[in-house]
Amino acid sequence: MSKVSVIGSGNVGATAVYYIAEKNLADVVMVDVIEGFPQSKSLDFLHAAPLREYNVRIFGTNNLEEIAGSDVIVFTAGVARKPGMDRMDLLKINATIARDASRAIARHAPDAVVIVVTNPLDVICMVVLRETGFEPARIVGQAGVLDSTRFRYFIAEKLGVWPGDVTAMVLGGHGDSMVPLKRYTSVGGFPIEELLDAETVESLIERTRKGGAEVINYLKTGSAYYAPAASTAKMVESVVKNERRLIPASVFLDGEYGYRNIFLGVPVYLGAGGVLKVLELALTDDEKKALDSSAEAVREGVKTLDSLYEQKIL
Amino acid sequence: MATVGIIGSGNAGANTAFFIAEKGVSDVLLYDIKEGLSTGKALDLMEAAPIRTYRTRIAGTDSLEEVLESKILVLAAGSVRTPEMKREELFDANVGLIEDIAKKVRGRDARIIMVAEPVDLLTALFVIESGIPREHVLGVGGILDSTRLRYAVARNLDVSVEDVCALVIGRHNEEMIGLARYTTVSGVPVLNLIEEDSFLALMDEVRSAGDFIVQMAKRSTAFYAPSAAIAELVDALVRDTRRLFSVSILLKGEYGIENVALSLPVVLGSGGVDRVCLPKLKKTEMKRFRASARGMSDYLGRSAG
Repeated sequence: MSKVSVIGSGNVGATAVYYIAEKNLADVVMVDVIEGFPQSKSLDFLHAAPLREYNVRIFGTNNLEEIAGSDVIVFTAGVARKPGMDRMDLLKINATIARDASRAIARHAPDAVVIVVTNPLDVICMVVLRETGFEPARIVGQAGVLDSTRFRYFIAEKLGVWPGDVTAMVLGGHGDSMVPLKRYTSVGGFPIEELLDAETVESLIERTRKGGAEVINYLKTGSAYYAPAASTAKMVESVVKNERRLIPASVFLDGEYGYRNIFLGVPVYLGAGGVLKVLELALTDDEKKALDSSAEAVREGVKTLDSLYEQKIL
Repeated sequence: MATVGIIGSGNAGANTAFFIAEKGVSDVLLYDIKEGLSTGKALDLMEAAPIRTYRTRIAGTDSLEEVLESKILVLAAGSVRTPEMKREELFDANVGLIEDIAKKVRGRDARIIMVAEPVDLLTALFVIESGIPREHVLGVGGILDSTRLRYAVARNLDVSVEDVCALVIGRHNEEMIGLARYTTVSGVPVLNLIEEDSFLALMDEVRSAGDFIVQMAKRSTAFYAPSAAIAELVDALVRDTRRLFSVSILLKGEYGIENVALSLPVVLGSGGVDRVCLPKLKKTEMKRFRASARGMSDYLGRSAG
């Protein structure tokens, strides 16, 4: 049985554990800084096991040493975005948490694939890359799966079809700067433009872009976690079962799509060992332009990160 | 819970019950002309339930009248092919049975899943003979060919099968038409990932998949993939999943064709076919689709549009 350690036992982390358990994907270690918190969650999960019939081990701890030997690390630790807060406001707090966790990951789970969920995603991925010293293929950020599952749901809802039959490809940074590829969005193989008019598609894209915010505004406190956790669990599954799924994810680019030294959402094959290959799709001028500005936003974030390093805040 | 009646407890029928149970979709009543066979298979399946933890009730009956009361009927009875036999050669063997059932369910509010071969001919015949709306009679054709293409593409590219979406339409025999433009991997059109020649080679494989399995198995035809396809259709009917499947349906003017059944993509829910989605066909594809329709209408002795 594979071992997956989830660092951060908040809503996203705990719900990801739920999905992992329900599919019997791996034994799980839940880690959190709050004393008693991960222990309480793991116990609660285990109490449900006789009814739900999963047979994975779930162990809660405050000690990062317990991640030893993990095949996959899911990194969800950090503070959540609050209404009115943008992702960059989060950077200072979450980068520090990511730095400390990454050093522990490098020490105790040197062979793990790290799936990063914490925002601002593309920048936190960079922190994990620098601080673990892992080869880039083993660090992958969860963003595109979430953006595309939201887009897929909105399309399915509009058409009255099963959401599982809708496929969508979304590139770029997470959320506001995502770049949905309409040409690569289809329903049971039917290109989306044969089923919906351009105006409707645009409105669904806009809703997807603001998908996270829509949920936050309803909740008032806290942010979405079911869809983010489902997206994360899907990536965990692709790695532990070596499914080689073609999914959008934030990965370190070394010339692909013309970018270097940044994490950006692109289609990748995900399997055992992390990113197996980046798929380079032909983009239209508009798509490339949108991806450029997405990359620019990520670069800005990395600049801020660099200044934190220079000021020895990190 | 809804009960699905399966007529024919051979490999396809029994494995359909198995997949339905594993998914917990509905209860199942098996029927076979061979006395005791259905009860035996049902008992065997139920005895696996404690280990597989399904709660589905599966029963067998020797009464055709009893199974015909089910709202959803899977017609998996009849003769199957032997090596060197074409599907069409089964028409004479199976037409009597299908006509008999059609007469017995005339006017009922039933959903029919046609599995018996030749599936397109018998689907058309069943609608005509039973008077049941065409939206309620689904032939297991394109969905099976499409799942085979999905597998072939996934294997060729070494990617997850779940990420591959494929569309095969037309007749469920060597005339089937694989639509590359409607075949995608996570939304990426397949021709972005493989050469057209490779796609055509994969389609050749799909085209002959049924024959290949008969030849390898010698005494049986393929039944796992067909059963999986049937169970998926049952799931759509019971749970109103509204999935898009390629199924054989009696045509009423689609592409200007009438009164023959061929596979086209449909949105499927508890009311049967909600709508037919017409792919934009290339000239050559349209020509082949029409040729299939003409061949079938000759067989049925009726005129296609």
